[in-house]
Amino acid sequence: MARKFSNTALNNQLSGFQKVYLILIVGFILGPFLPLIIQSLAFRWAWPDLLPGTWWMEQREVSRMPLAWDYVLSPYSRILEATINTVVIGSIVTVICLAICLPAARVLARESFRGKSGFEFFLSLPLIVPEAAIGIALLMIFIRMGIAGSYLGIIIAHLIPTIPYMIRMLTAVYQGLGKDFEEQAMILGASRWQVLRLVTLPMLLPGVVAGALFTFLVSTNIFLLTFFLGQGKIITLPTLLFSKISGGTLDASAAGITLIVTLPGVILLIISERFIKEEAFGKGFGN
Amino acid sequence: MRKLALGVSIAAMLAAGAAQAEDPAATEFRENFLAGDLEWSAVTERAQSEGTVNLYYWGGSDPLNVWMDSVVAPAMLELGVTLNPVRITGTKDAVDLVLAELGSGKMVGEGSVDAIWLNGENFSTLKKQDALFGAFAPLLPNATNIEWDESDPRSLLNLRDFGVLTDGAEVPWSGEQYVCAVNTDRVSADEVPHTFEEMRSYLEANPGKFIYVKPPHYLGNTFVQEAIYAHNPDGTGAEPFQQSLDELGAAELARLITPGLDYLKNLEPLLLGGDSGTPRYPEDPNALDGLFLNGEVNFNCKFGLYAVSTGLSQGTYPEGAQEFVFPEGNMIKNKNYLAIPANAPNPAAALVLADYMTTVEAQISKLEFTGMPAGIDPWLLSEEDAAALAAASPGHTGVDASELDANIAPDTNATLVDVIEATWLEYIERDSTDSIETIVTRAAENLNQ
Repeated sequence: MARKFSNTALNNQLSGFQKVYLILIVGFILGPFLPLIIQSLAFRWAWPDLLPGTWWMEQREVSRMPLAWDYVLSPYSRILEATINTVVIGSIVTVICLAICLPAARVLARESFRGKSGFEFFLSLPLIVPEAAIGIALLMIFIRMGIAGSYLGIIIAHLIPTIPYMIRMLTAVYQGLGKDFEEQAMILGASRWQVLRLVTLPMLLPGVVAGALFTFLVSTNIFLLTFFLGQGKIITLPTLLFSKISGGTLDASAAGITLIVTLPGVILLIISERFIKEEAFGKGFGN
Repeated sequence: MRKLALGVSIAAMLAAGAAQAEDPAATEFRENFLAGDLEWSAVTERAQSEGTVNLYYWGGSDPLNVWMDSVVAPAMLELGVTLNPVRITGTKDAVDLVLAELGSGKMVGEGSVDAIWLNGENFSTLKKQDALFGAFAPLLPNATNIEWDESDPRSLLNLRDFGVLTDGAEVPWSGEQYVCAVNTDRVSADEVPHTFEEMRSYLEANPGKFIYVKPPHYLGNTFVQEAIYAHNPDGTGAEPFQQSLDELGAAELARLITPGLDYLKNLEPLLLGGDSGTPRYPEDPNALDGLFLNGEVNFNCKFGLYAVSTGLSQGTYPEGAQEFVFPEGNMIKNKNYLAIPANAPNPAAALVLADYMTTVEAQISKLEFTGMPAGIDPWLLSEEDAAALAAASPGHTGVDASELDANIAPDTNATLVDVIEATWLEYIERDSTDSIETIVTRAAENLNQ
């Protein structure tokens, strides 16, 4: 009830400028989708026509090739394989990333040791070094190890740019948590395992979900590392999209694939939007 | 070029520390096959035990992807081999991969690329690096569909790839011709240019309505070569450009290409975007298709004997698109090929794939699906097969096949292509004030290093 009230109150408070600003932002975010959707339904859409001169449906029976959405949704486009690969790799990367970052963040948030600030800087280095440099170096190492072009290789590579983000987010969450609740539980006789399971994790959960969501989205959008290390054998949505639009023109099937590529992120955002808004950003980061 | 350099340097770095490993059974198979000691049945038997073949090819064409998955894959499955068609964005990626793996000591039976669709510079690179399987092409059962007899001048396209001897290390897969299309809704029939001079006159009246793909893309290089042939000061067209750089010499090359490059340089203000100082060269054929479809330019020159028919059926060409003869007598014709790298993981399956690709049946369905002209030579086929192949052709709009055949020219030796490309970049793109002779000499020296 209270939330509903504050929402309407917020709306009523919007000034004319704020409303225009809001509409502009929505326009900038949703605007690009409109021509994309039209293009995905077009057969021939040439300048200066405002709408396609020939639509896909008109040519659908005539052409012997699957066109536009027929191509996108056919096995020839490999969109299903790419989607499954993207989601599976993203999920595994997220789980491993969490397993690595949770203990690390705990130490970084709570302990102080010599060279800690230097170590924190060191952890963000992968964000500074260009991905191409990392990719080439990893490719050479992975070829020798025999894991180039394998899922294992891609997952390891995806951990490199995701770990710095995850550690930063979790460190902030741990810092906000404080030791008090855990100490309280221990005083009351809880074992270490019980503390972790019943106190620490539930309190960390919003931050963990936010970090996991972010890691997953970063992983599903990595093109260059996937492209280098997958060697074209493992296709994900970004590599599939790149191979379609690298020519610089967006035909109907490329537009369709582009729309599909946005789906995992959109679905994930919708599922977690409520949770994140209420929990993570409400309580998670140091509040 | 940058990618190539990258690949070569990766290969060099890896070679330094890598131990050479070999798969003895695969090495023995390679030696026996190339020596001609193996029956074809032994090859198919081994191919079935290998089970898979990894074909790396440019995956930017929907029709080609559909054909690979719906025709080639089932046909290969019948032969007991699973086709793994790997779509790549640039053929150089596959070449780099082969070189990197060779450098790290992965030999036959151990790499990841079984076959690559390529020609020209990419083949030349693999050949120079000794990264090819060997002279397999004439040993395939379907090699009878291809003219290998040197005494027949028509064999040139099978024996030389951009002037580089193929030595049977790649098998012809498709033929191509550099053909220009015109949008007849915007250009009337009597305005259509057929020579470079007529093109210039047309552009003086209609500035900005033409552009070619930017070198170093091979489509741009080919256009530059045609301009150079047409402006050859000796009037001998393509003839001197069949020699290698060493045979021709840098000074002679500079003399021969100067008029053509001067023509292109003087044409720049009349090209698309030329009035603002820098022409807007598209980077690849898809970008050029976009300009052509949107009427920003009225012509579209690229390798594509049936590009108009394919473009119309895919909605990527404007409705008024037609082929026309340009430039007269200098339309470059060549072939593209399937090569097997030296470290193919499944060499026998690669051979079976190469053999299937040269069957009449595969060539006909490829032509029907993708509009890619046949790579096999129709005069060697039975009358029935030749007729079926001719019937599969999507046909031309605006010209007939005989007109296009009458104006063909061979492509330029691969060693010259690099120098001409470097000279275009220096003289035209960067507006160097050095003389062409200086630029050519410098480029030739750089390439020899």
